[in-house]
Amino acid sequence: MKQIAVRILQAFGLVLAVIVLNFLLVHLAPGDAVDSLAGTSGEMSPETTQRLREQYGLDKPVTTQLATYVGNVLQGDLGVSIANNNRPVTEMIAERLWPTVLLSITALAFAVILGVTVGTLAARRPESGFSHSTTVFALIGFSMPVFWTGYLLLTLFSKNLGWLPISGMENLRFDGGWLAKQWDLAKHLLLPALSLGLIYIAAYSRLSRASMLEVLESDYVRTARAKGLGERSVLFKHALRNGIIPIVTVLGLQFGAILSGAILVETVFAWPGVGRLAFEAVVERDTNVLLGVLFLVSLTVIVANLITDVIYRLIDPRIRVSGPTNG
Amino acid sequence: MGTTYWRRTLAVLLAFALFAVACGGSDDGESATTTADDDTAADTSSDDGGDADTGSDDGGETAAEPDEPNEPEEEREFVEEVGGDFLLRPENVPTDDQRGGVVVVGYAGAIPHTNGAVSSGYAVNTVGPQVNASLLRYNDEYQPIPYLADSWEIADDGLSVSLELNAEARFHDGEDVTCTDVGFSIETSQANHPFKPMFAPVTGVDGGDTKSCTVNLSQPHPALLIAFSPGLLPIIPEHIFNDGQDMKTHPRNSTDVIGAGPFKLVEFDGSEIVRFEANDDFFLPGLPYLDELIFDLGLDHPTVTLGLQTGEFDIAAGDQAHGGQNVIDSQADPNQRVSNKGFEAIGSIPWIQLNLRDEVLGDVRVRQALAHALDKETYNDIIAVGLNNIDQCGPIQRNSPYYNPDGKCYDFDLEKAQALLDEAGYADGFTITMHQASANLPGMELIAEMWAEIGVTVEISLDADFPDWIAKTVGEDSEYDATWTTLWNWGDPVIGVNRSYNCDNRVAGVAFSNMSWYCNEELDGLLNDAGLEFDEAKRAELYYSAADIINEDVPVIYLSNQVWYQRMQVTLENPPESIWGFMDSWAEMWVDA
Amino acid sequence: MADPTVFGMEEKSEGFEPSVIDESRLRKPPPKYQGLRMFRRNKAAVFGLILLIVILFITFVLPVIFDGERTERVGGIHLAPGAEGSTTFGTDYLGRDVGRIVMQGGSATLKVAALAALVIVGLGTTIGALAGYYGGWVDNVLMRITEFFQVLPGLLFAIVIVALYGASTTTIVLAIGLIAWPTIARLVRAEFFRQKNLEYVKAARAIGASDARIIFKTIMPNTLPVVIVQSTLVMGSAILFEAGLAFLGLSNPKDLSWGFYIGVNRNYFLSNWWGVTFPGLMIFFTVLSLSLIGDGLQDAVNPKLRGR
Repeated sequence: MKQIAVRILQAFGLVLAVIVLNFLLVHLAPGDAVDSLAGTSGEMSPETTQRLREQYGLDKPVTTQLATYVGNVLQGDLGVSIANNNRPVTEMIAERLWPTVLLSITALAFAVILGVTVGTLAARRPESGFSHSTTVFALIGFSMPVFWTGYLLLTLFSKNLGWLPISGMENLRFDGGWLAKQWDLAKHLLLPALSLGLIYIAAYSRLSRASMLEVLESDYVRTARAKGLGERSVLFKHALRNGIIPIVTVLGLQFGAILSGAILVETVFAWPGVGRLAFEAVVERDTNVLLGVLFLVSLTVIVANLITDVIYRLIDPRIRVSGPTNG
Repeated sequence: MGTTYWRRTLAVLLAFALFAVACGGSDDGESATTTADDDTAADTSSDDGGDADTGSDDGGETAAEPDEPNEPEEEREFVEEVGGDFLLRPENVPTDDQRGGVVVVGYAGAIPHTNGAVSSGYAVNTVGPQVNASLLRYNDEYQPIPYLADSWEIADDGLSVSLELNAEARFHDGEDVTCTDVGFSIETSQANHPFKPMFAPVTGVDGGDTKSCTVNLSQPHPALLIAFSPGLLPIIPEHIFNDGQDMKTHPRNSTDVIGAGPFKLVEFDGSEIVRFEANDDFFLPGLPYLDELIFDLGLDHPTVTLGLQTGEFDIAAGDQAHGGQNVIDSQADPNQRVSNKGFEAIGSIPWIQLNLRDEVLGDVRVRQALAHALDKETYNDIIAVGLNNIDQCGPIQRNSPYYNPDGKCYDFDLEKAQALLDEAGYADGFTITMHQASANLPGMELIAEMWAEIGVTVEISLDADFPDWIAKTVGEDSEYDATWTTLWNWGDPVIGVNRSYNCDNRVAGVAFSNMSWYCNEELDGLLNDAGLEFDEAKRAELYYSAADIINEDVPVIYLSNQVWYQRMQVTLENPPESIWGFMDSWAEMWVDA
Repeated sequence: MADPTVFGMEEKSEGFEPSVIDESRLRKPPPKYQGLRMFRRNKAAVFGLILLIVILFITFVLPVIFDGERTERVGGIHLAPGAEGSTTFGTDYLGRDVGRIVMQGGSATLKVAALAALVIVGLGTTIGALAGYYGGWVDNVLMRITEFFQVLPGLLFAIVIVALYGASTTTIVLAIGLIAWPTIARLVRAEFFRQKNLEYVKAARAIGASDARIIFKTIMPNTLPVVIVQSTLVMGSAILFEAGLAFLGLSNPKDLSWGFYIGVNRNYFLSNWWGVTFPGLMIFFTVLSLSLIGDGLQDAVNPKLRGR
């Protein structure tokens, strides 16, 4: 129990560190949101920029701003977006979060389903040509830059074949029923999710192959085989179930890495997600939005980490989750 | 062991799923991109579902809009006769069957908000005039047309202008448009809009809550009437905005926007989508013809092009307006129409701004050499696929009546250029850094190549974004050499031209000021005099002389006058083609489906 | 964006740890020649090596042979490969030779990736070693720092640094380095934990060797094989990161690196597929070659996993 409390405390400290350090990183850079506003509005007189800086507290020393910001965040207030007429950051992120989550889950679903299937099959015959070629195939997926993959797919399916839309999440003119809308969504989702998922198919097929092999050689499975259970039963009911653990663990922790891919995919496909929002915020120096996204993503990973830790400890205290600790 | 593992798996999956659902669930209600809200059920083309599609609260939903999506669609009541002298295209009016419908705009770029009184620029002024109305509109011959102002008259001494506002003019919340609003809008512009000369001479507006107003001036101001255009002075509601909040970042600029325009704003996400619905209470009877306008934002060029081909978009806007391969592709498509009418007043001139404070560039011969070394025709052929107009020699755009087509031009002559450089003492060339106000890497690369011919090395500075560019070119310690940028004339030289050359507009920290730090007293005198002159012939003469001086001094090198191309479906009728092009009300647009 | 962590998952996933290095093999350093023979047997890895050599040749040797201005305009704009008046790989939006630009686009990318890999390995190894060797509060503190960098969304963090502080080689290398070092650190740390209580280390301590000596001269060499394997994968990731940043415009325009060139050409891809395809192909081959090599090395170094 005490260890769990310690972990929670550590996680909280980490969250705080993330907020503070990101804030400093962004605010110590030259230029600010008011400069960007000046650009979008055509220009701005020095009086107006001064006025606006005062309004947003940007003329105060960094430490004061930091204290105010941290205080606000701890109360759940992520500030307002300067580039979007003071729209609350939480509202903006909430609106754009779902498309990214949808994209990520679909991409991971592709990756896991395809990857695990391939990896599991490869594990059955570890020395076969199929097995070795899955490794290579997996590496191919990893090596393709995700934005390049996107354009290849677009060229083939949107431009040449005309089967799939070129960008966006929906056809704005669309006028159909619920089912037709879902189909439209699926058509828009397919290519971006495929591009993003391709990277992870590689990872998951290797991972599942490795972990499946471990499991297949384990006592438990040998017992099952000895009992005379069919190979398929062994493979899918017992080995797969256990072999999936590391994959599942990895899913939650991967959110940060997925966002990286999402930024690029969302740019290629004009997908209205939080990745693109973050990139736009960088360009517009919309610090609150940017910090908000950084904070939220880090928080997700930390929380996922924490939950995994805690759950493992609760269920099986024998497992040392944080790796080799005291030798 | 098996059960424990299974439990563990389940627990982790559950945690993750809960998290995902929590995030996904809370968005469904707000995001316009989810499905339920967009469902128009059994409705046909006119898709007004009645309920606000997103969270935005349109307090004053009028009775004309049906509430239940499942009820048979109620037609908007169209006035039988559409007439009056407030139409730009009275000869192209749709029949009752042809009215209504949706127009989807493929827009390459983002839109910050809708209030043109505090911002200039193409983006704000494309959506602004849909939700806001202005005192006047202009047709394609620079003639003013009644809009919010039924009639107007300039006093003999030129020190006041009286206006009669349309008796039916109302805001979307039902409040009348009065002189108070006119006065407030002008004040807002004076305090916030970047174009200070536009309303600088206005001392006040009389008339209060009536419809008879008098605009008082401190000096004669011929540019005033054109400043009443939709893109330059939207009339915004004083009772909504006058609450002490800073106008430049006022939330009502983009949420719950109340204006007097032909459309009501129902959804606004500056980088994704802007949605308008027809204002059934619009004070001009019969307008607007369309039911809905949707702007799909944040697209890149290939997306817009493809969207036009597939019919997803009716019209392309944003960066699409300029010449390029896209235009050629669209011209080849039988389903599309490309028009280069409209935008005559804009006067968009891309140019290379030279910093006269620099030792090398401060020498006029060097500047003239650089001008001679620029092959404008090749530049136009490659960068704009030959679609812009290179006959732009002078600060005033070539479509303006004040432009002198016989003014001095710098022809492409490498020998002359080299000779000038030698004379100035730079036979061995020199190095300069060039910035760009917005992305134009191909152009910069080309210019660098051209100037390399006379020994000038150009270091291209890829400014990460606009603040970066501002910091490097007009920031306190900026020591830039040259920058590529584009400026607009904005209809009247007083508005868009003077700012680049006036001695007293050499200010640090202000983009699009006199960034060359150029000063010529005689020139200033000419520009000022021209700004006060009502006689068109005399005015033109003054501007001719001014242009001569500027051309001789070459503080900037003009690349071309950009022609604006509107790409649209052939079914689109009455595209905005007045002197302001897109930056005008789209009330008269309709679709011949 | 893929994370090299994923590849090392077999070693590092929480609650799942097959032993990576067979203890019995550590009585002496792994026999190099045996390893190399394994490597050679792995055809994929050899193919990867050849591919890498070809790419290096194209990037560094060919430009010397095909001397000339990379940015010279050679023809009309957007001419397809093999079309009339065009070049082998087509022309771009300014009429430049796509083939020539792609040929030299790798030098900046590879330099940045190599430097970044150095930073990653250097930083990661040091921190991992210290954490693993000393354990206790040192480990705690260092692990918290590692965790901090691990929870940050990688590419976004790099974008922030490069966009806000300028796109110079320094900032890009630093940015990539900062987001990728934790995986090496964890790996090295795990290694040190395993090894610091082994016989040969105890022996070194018994004869009075200093901590520094033990860390760097005794244990470190034994972790090198694993680190080297991971380094090739790390370099692959660094290349992908650099390409991603460049694609978004965060790169020196003069370099015309592969990622940057894709980003510039993307506006025309409907009518100009070669401007996007060829630079991407180069990135792909480069990263693939490094991954295949890394994979082969991994097989050579970890016999237990070899059967896979």
